[in-house]
Amino acid sequence: MIGRRGWIGLGTVAALIALWFLLTTVTGIVSGARFPSPAEFWLSLRQIWGRGYAGGQLISHALHSLKLVAMGFAVAIATGIPLGLWMGWNRKAEAAINPVFLVIRPIPPLAWIPLAILWLGLGDSAKILVIWFSAFVPSVINTFAGVRNIDRPMIEAARMLGTPRWRMVREVIAPAASPLIFTGLRLSLQASWTTLVAAELVGALVGVGFVLNMAQQDLYPGMILVGMVTVGLLGWATTVLLGMVERRALSWNMAARD
Amino acid sequence: MGSILFQNVDKVFGPASSGVKALDNINLEIAEKEFVAIVGPSGCGKTTCLRMVAGFEAPSAGLISVSGKKVTEPGPDRAVVFQQFALFPWKTVRENIELGLRNKNLPAGERNTLVESALKLMNLETHADAFPHQLSGGMQQRVAIARAYVLDPDVLLMDEPFGALDAQTRVVMQEELVRLARVNPRTVLFITHAVEEAVYLADRVAIMTRRPGRIKEILDVRSIRQAENWDRFQKIEDVMDLESFVHLRTHIWKSLREEKGSQSI
Ligand SMILES: Nc1ncnc2c1ncn2[C@@H]1O[C@H](COP(=O)(O)OP(=O)(O)OP(=O)(O)O)[C@@H](O)[C@H]1O
Ligand SMILES: [Mg+2]
Repeated sequence: MIGRRGWIGLGTVAALIALWFLLTTVTGIVSGARFPSPAEFWLSLRQIWGRGYAGGQLISHALHSLKLVAMGFAVAIATGIPLGLWMGWNRKAEAAINPVFLVIRPIPPLAWIPLAILWLGLGDSAKILVIWFSAFVPSVINTFAGVRNIDRPMIEAARMLGTPRWRMVREVIAPAASPLIFTGLRLSLQASWTTLVAAELVGALVGVGFVLNMAQQDLYPGMILVGMVTVGLLGWATTVLLGMVERRALSWNMAARD
Repeated sequence: MGSILFQNVDKVFGPASSGVKALDNINLEIAEKEFVAIVGPSGCGKTTCLRMVAGFEAPSAGLISVSGKKVTEPGPDRAVVFQQFALFPWKTVRENIELGLRNKNLPAGERNTLVESALKLMNLETHADAFPHQLSGGMQQRVAIARAYVLDPDVLLMDEPFGALDAQTRVVMQEELVRLARVNPRTVLFITHAVEEAVYLADRVAIMTRRPGRIKEILDVRSIRQAENWDRFQKIEDVMDLESFVHLRTHIWKSLREEKGSQSI
């Protein structure tokens, strides 16, 4: 199961944990007020896991964040991929939409948070909206680039075979663009996590970002670290999941690369 | 069904005044079930001729018609075999061949029968469920030919279809194409750089001038093939040794040499 690369990765993680232990506990070079020791981390983890913290147990915070990311990401790709396909396929659509993108793109996704909270309050819908803003753009841009990079003879072959428009999109354009579409999805997923946690930091009543915010106000480094590690693990797990979907969907392409 | 007609065809790429004139007054008539090969120096407009018959490009002046109808867009009555195969890598061999039939809305049973016979015709039965990248170049091109043939097109358009293959595979494919043309004759427009290939396969060979391309000369290979009875040989190398073959080949070579100028063929 675990290959050579896997072992090297595990080794690095183990070494970092050992270094952490060394710096905070054995030698005390880093004080506990700045960075928690493994023991403090463990206590914080037990607290939030069992009794709970910031109004809930770790599981409920994590599931809430996960749910919002899943929904925002789903909305973003359900709108982003079709728009990217359309812009790639239709020069007029591109001419009309691209200028809007050029202006919107430089706005950091986080800059949408105040507006979203103003519109929709501290609830879930504001967060889904900001995730949508941030995750939408990489989906559109990469899908668009994917369509534009399709080999022309492939399209011409499909036209010569009399392929009707809808089948052309589904069976030719989308699969041909799919390697880049998946690149876009990976970026969108990353953006989803970044913006969600940021949005929860600014205004939320539940979620991993809210845990981080509370722990900061409580001057509670152990809990801050628990929140950060949770975000890291959730982000990692969803990326792995997406990677599995990608390998399945692009099996024809992966095999060609080997 | 399947005649091709070029009538005073010009093609200019870019603006009419300052653009590149690729083709100059092309006139060519290809009869039903005739096999015509076009040879000419690189960049003389061979591909452009074929792409206009396919409906991927429109002539700047003049008219191209197939079976008496003006060509306006691509369609399955004019099947194209591309130099780089242009198969769909996410579809299996069978799915690649089947797409055109699905587009014609044939019922599944009928599609199956046609796909099976196309697979058999091109010796692909054992690879029906493989993906293109799992096949050799020669096999991929056979899939592309099967995908074209299965449409039962009036016209087959082939742009250096064997150009990407190694020499041995190429010979095999040439012999298979001759076999196919006997079993299932079609109007074929075939572009090649290989003079021998043109003489071996074609009924007529059209030689083009360098750019702007015009038709310089059309050779009737068929009457010589029949008079000298080339068809008694199975193997291309036996035909290539015949004096009548060598004579034609040399003639074309010389003609192309004159055109070559500073560019290479
Ligand atoms: N889409 C295009 N836009 C502009 N110029 C083009 C285009 N397609 C072809 N040309 C030009 O038209 C001329 C003829 O091109 P074409 O591809 O038909 O030549 P060819 O005879 O097939 O050459 P080769 O033997 O190298 O394949 C060339 O000078 C080429 O640069
Ligand atoms: Mg060419």
